[in-house]
Amino acid sequence: MKASARLVVTLDSHGNSVVRVLRSMTPLTLVPHRRVGPLALVHLVSSVTAPLGGDSLSLTVEVGPGASLELRGVAATLLLPGSSGEESSSSVRFLVEGSVRYLPEPTVVTNRANHTSVVEAELDGHAQLRTREVLVLGRAGEKPGTLSSSVRATRCGKPLLHQQLVVGDPSVDASSAGLAGRRVVGTEVVLDSVERGTDGGEWWSVVPLAAGGSLATALGDDVVTVTRVLDAI
Amino acid sequence: MLTALILADSRFPGGGHVHSGGLEEAAARGLVHDEPSLRAFLHGRLLGAGLLAAGFAAAAARGEDLAVLDAELDARTPSPAQRAASRAQGRGMLRAARRAWPSARLDALPRDPHQPLVIGVLVDDAFEAALTCAYLAVSGPASAAVRLLGLDPFGVNAIVASLAVEDVASRACEELPALGSPALDLLAEAHVRREGVRLFGS
Repeated sequence: MKASARLVVTLDSHGNSVVRVLRSMTPLTLVPHRRVGPLALVHLVSSVTAPLGGDSLSLTVEVGPGASLELRGVAATLLLPGSSGEESSSSVRFLVEGSVRYLPEPTVVTNRANHTSVVEAELDGHAQLRTREVLVLGRAGEKPGTLSSSVRATRCGKPLLHQQLVVGDPSVDASSAGLAGRRVVGTEVVLDSVERGTDGGEWWSVVPLAAGGSLATALGDDVVTVTRVLDAI
Repeated sequence: MLTALILADSRFPGGGHVHSGGLEEAAARGLVHDEPSLRAFLHGRLLGAGLLAAGFAAAAARGEDLAVLDAELDARTPSPAQRAASRAQGRGMLRAARRAWPSARLDALPRDPHQPLVIGVLVDDAFEAALTCAYLAVSGPASAAVRLLGLDPFGVNAIVASLAVEDVASRACEELPALGSPALDLLAEAHVRREGVRLFGS
């Protein structure tokens, strides 16, 4: 299944963030909320079981100056294999002049899945972006398939963050220099002008990035423990 | 080739011996305590942080813009402790290199450059630069393990010799990597916070 969806949010003359373009394509179904205000809320619903091996999904999100969007998932995403081992891929591209919070639910890398995920964000001078990723290595008692997940964010063309996470190589996942044998890895990127100090515990940290913004990282054995860290930033 | 050998030599006076690459913190937590756990640590370190560093050494050796590479490596190093360790090792290496191999390109490096960029400027063959960098990504932590845990030097050397350093160096030459190392970053941040005696700077 190949699908591309697009969402454009702008600020109207009354100071409301308004969805101007909403183009869903199964399985990427965008559900806007009918409330009017400074923040537009849209849910991203997977309207078919996806992604399966062979699927290629892409979503483009544009948010204009002064506008704010919250894009939320509704359910965990299960990365599943196709019938003959093909790769699946998903990409989300943000063009931000206003403010975006992208909060999908956790992604579960099931056995034999083979997926590549790319999140790209281009921010202008004052744009803000918050994006979360929680990866679960397999369902209970299941070995994970393979996933490459990368995020790249730039502000006015200059790189703020570029990280690729690869899971599914047992020797690296188990290494204390890899994922330290933890089943759940979560990150939350906050790109804004707020200065946050460094904080951390045994398997979590909140750190300032070199060119502005912060990153929270947590490793754990369950989603609840990991998201608690991410919620706190 | 001689330059690469000198840079990879533990007797090179670049200050690399004060960095353990996260090994000290991993050892303090008991995560690395014997040869098998050291092998697993070094394997993960090589395929993550080692590949990333080697890719930037190769890019610098190919003559790519150093200021751009410096900013791109910062964006791929979210942990301030890791950035500080990379720049401290770059500064130490640069200090020794200015006397040994002065050049205009060495002077073109940003202030306190990331170590992989210094290696790439000094070793102008991309594969050799990547190999030097990938080797240093595991040789420092390996020798730290001997000092911290009293492991058998022959056994540790055999582990280093068995790692896929050349494969990683080849892959590092293909495209600029962006691999993150979440656990290493968390170990590096915790190491900075750790109170009491620390033998290593990172």
